[in-house]
Amino acid sequence: MLLNIKNLTKRFGGLTAVSNVSFGIERGEIIGIFGPNGSGKTTTLSLIAGILKPTSGEIVWKGEVINALTPFEVAQQGLVKTFQNPQLFPELTVAEHMRIACHLHVKRALGLGRLKTLLGKGATGDLEKTLSKKIDQMLELCRLYKHRNDEAGALSYGGEKMLGVAMGMVCDPELLLLDEPASGLGHDEITNLDAVLRDLKTHGVTLCIIDHKVGFLGRLADRSIALHHGAVIASGTTAEVLANDAVVTAYLGKKHA
Amino acid sequence: MTQLILGQLLNGIIVGSLYGIIALGVTLTFGLTGIVNFALGAFMMLGAYSTWYLYDVSHLPYPIAVIGAVAIVSAVGYVSDLTLFRFTRGNLVNGLLVSIGLISVFEALILAAFTTTPKDLTYVMPGAFHVAGLFLPKIKIMVCLVFLAIIFGTYLALTRTWLGRAAFAYAQNPEAAALMGIRTERLQTIVVVYSTALAGLGGGLYASMYSLEPTIGAAYILKAVEAAILAGVGSVIGALGGGIILGVSENIGSVFFPSAFRDAYGLVFLIAILLVRPSGLFGDKS
Amino acid sequence: MRLAILGGLLVALIAPWFVKSDSTLAIAIYGFMAASLAVSFNLIFGFSGQLSMFHAASFGVSAYVVTILVTSYGWNFWLAIPCALALVVVLSLIVGTICFRFKLKEFYFAVVTLAFSEVLRLITLNWNSVTNGSLGITVVEKPALWTPWGTLTFSSGVSWYYVTLALLVVVFVICQRVLGSWIGQCLAAIRLNDQLGETLGIDVFKYKLLSFAIGSALAGLVGAFYGFYAGFVEPHYLSITLGLDIVAMVLLGGINSLIGPVIGALLLTALPHMIELSAELRIALYGAILIFVILVMPKGIMGLLSSRKNAA
Repeated sequence: MLLNIKNLTKRFGGLTAVSNVSFGIERGEIIGIFGPNGSGKTTTLSLIAGILKPTSGEIVWKGEVINALTPFEVAQQGLVKTFQNPQLFPELTVAEHMRIACHLHVKRALGLGRLKTLLGKGATGDLEKTLSKKIDQMLELCRLYKHRNDEAGALSYGGEKMLGVAMGMVCDPELLLLDEPASGLGHDEITNLDAVLRDLKTHGVTLCIIDHKVGFLGRLADRSIALHHGAVIASGTTAEVLANDAVVTAYLGKKHA
Repeated sequence: MTQLILGQLLNGIIVGSLYGIIALGVTLTFGLTGIVNFALGAFMMLGAYSTWYLYDVSHLPYPIAVIGAVAIVSAVGYVSDLTLFRFTRGNLVNGLLVSIGLISVFEALILAAFTTTPKDLTYVMPGAFHVAGLFLPKIKIMVCLVFLAIIFGTYLALTRTWLGRAAFAYAQNPEAAALMGIRTERLQTIVVVYSTALAGLGGGLYASMYSLEPTIGAAYILKAVEAAILAGVGSVIGALGGGIILGVSENIGSVFFPSAFRDAYGLVFLIAILLVRPSGLFGDKS
Repeated sequence: MRLAILGGLLVALIAPWFVKSDSTLAIAIYGFMAASLAVSFNLIFGFSGQLSMFHAASFGVSAYVVTILVTSYGWNFWLAIPCALALVVVLSLIVGTICFRFKLKEFYFAVVTLAFSEVLRLITLNWNSVTNGSLGITVVEKPALWTPWGTLTFSSGVSWYYVTLALLVVVFVICQRVLGSWIGQCLAAIRLNDQLGETLGIDVFKYKLLSFAIGSALAGLVGAFYGFYAGFVEPHYLSITLGLDIVAMVLLGGINSLIGPVIGALLLTALPHMIELSAELRIALYGAILIFVILVMPKGIMGLLSSRKNAA
């Protein structure tokens, strides 16, 4: 099992945001996390990514407990998270964003050899060229290539979210945590996103996606869990979860007799 | 020994109330305009020099000289806000740099006008009380009382008057305040000018106790900022508290440690509080 | 741009052939050292986004250490320099670790570094037995460099001109290399959105500390030479006003480049000598320039030039 969440709990003072959540993610699948607003989905993802520290419980990544890692260490482990509200580098172009995101890739590819870059651009030979190719490849995958040299701030909301996914991808993640990638997107953009995510799966990336949009995530996720008030109320294949009474009640209210 | 300590305690309270009055200006400015106005030290210096000028050169009675100085400093403060600070709202770094630039300008102008020869006004209210073997100069007592009165007056104004409560509301939630019809820009200008007036008053009274040089502002603003941050930028009574804690520490500290360390206490408090409890001793932990 | 910089360097290299006035050379020498300080400062400020008020302290501490080692203990000038730099690096690592571990942002970082700087200045001012307090230490010796063609003593204006020019080039190139490497990418991320940078795997703490240490060490390098040229070291070297002069130079020249600080520094060093100004008014001028730049041209001279280019 790639990621194993065991009894994860997070309390903020008197409020329990995440309560005894357990689930597992196998390599290669797409896991969906459903739940209405305030059910603890984003908090769970933030706990996994190291942005918040759990009150109790374990986050086990490839057999090792990673509770205490800082966000950048978690990313280095191969677990990359994107933001629900797109985070950008002001005034930089799409390509420049991607170049910065190549940090982990360069680190893994060159190791201490990166020190050679201090001797001037010439010394590292083809580094920039290789990176450029990889960046272009990723931008193509995310359908952002034509915006390569545009300022990221000029992208549409959907474009910005896609850039977040692209940057995450270039970190060579084993597991990509996506926080509401479809929220705020129009119909065409969602179709686009769906295609991109399926492409990522083919590329060998495991995905864990939170979203509201039951239709979108329902089509995409292999297995799912549903959260309500911070606790897991259903888990299993996506079809099972979405048919579950408790889940329907949580989203839509009680069924009329 | 107890007499020495007691004496230093009182000195500390007096100096502390001077820090406090400027710290109050710092805290009000920060709460409403989002910058720490380092130039308040220079405004204090302007107030001191204006008082000296009005008293020594224009031969006005001392209280009138102080009031005149406050008026002059407020006017300068108004102009500064209109031309400079208005453009740095909410931008701490720019506000820092602009206010420090202003200090250089003020100091240099006063230096050019009046030279470095220290000015002395300390004969304004001679004499002292002798209480329990302690020597309490009358002027220092009066100054301390005036400062305390002003600080409490400000506190009352903030909590009881409409203007004061508008200022409070604005500091907590600028957008909501604006939506409620509060003229936010005017409010900010009023607060900036009031802070400079406070600093000017501080300077005017400072002039009656110590000799004046154009550089006096620098040391005091640093102490005032330390006091404000120690107390928690945003707390009015806290500003006074912070100032007194600082003043007393410095004076009592000089009894036990070499006086060379005097200026260091504030710096150490500053570093410690920003690391451990950035909201300050009396501030909200928000 | 590259061409312009190389051209400027060429002019600087041959200038002493044409300019014989000692006072002009002196202005250039002080200008080069100020430029080195400004460039190293901008590594921390413009490129990493941290407003450090510790730069003057690094400069001053190093100046004192080298001076004391040479005048009181008879050390060789060139051996004293690494020693001073080591101390500056240690101090900046301590200050930086404290500030960055506690995630002090912008303004509060400036205030805390200012406080640490003031503490060091007070120590320098009061530790009379070692630093001679407010009187400072006079330096009579001049550094000498052994070469196979004989020992070169740096005593003339022309020799100092080339030494300080070389110093500027070294500082500039080091900063340029750092920024051109993977470190530069990390610093850009830190400056623009450090939270995003963290999720992309960048160790924000480490790189902030690295940039702070490198910049401060370079300031120390300048300090080592400065005392020996000026002929004395005094506590004022660690003052806040010096720190602010450096900020003014960088803002005037432009914080988005390395050449901007050079221009700003050269201008501000030369300015008081081009206009006849009393010492007080000179300070007023610095203050006025600082205010003017922040309000009217926040990107400095280089910013104006590049936006002119973009618009064209």
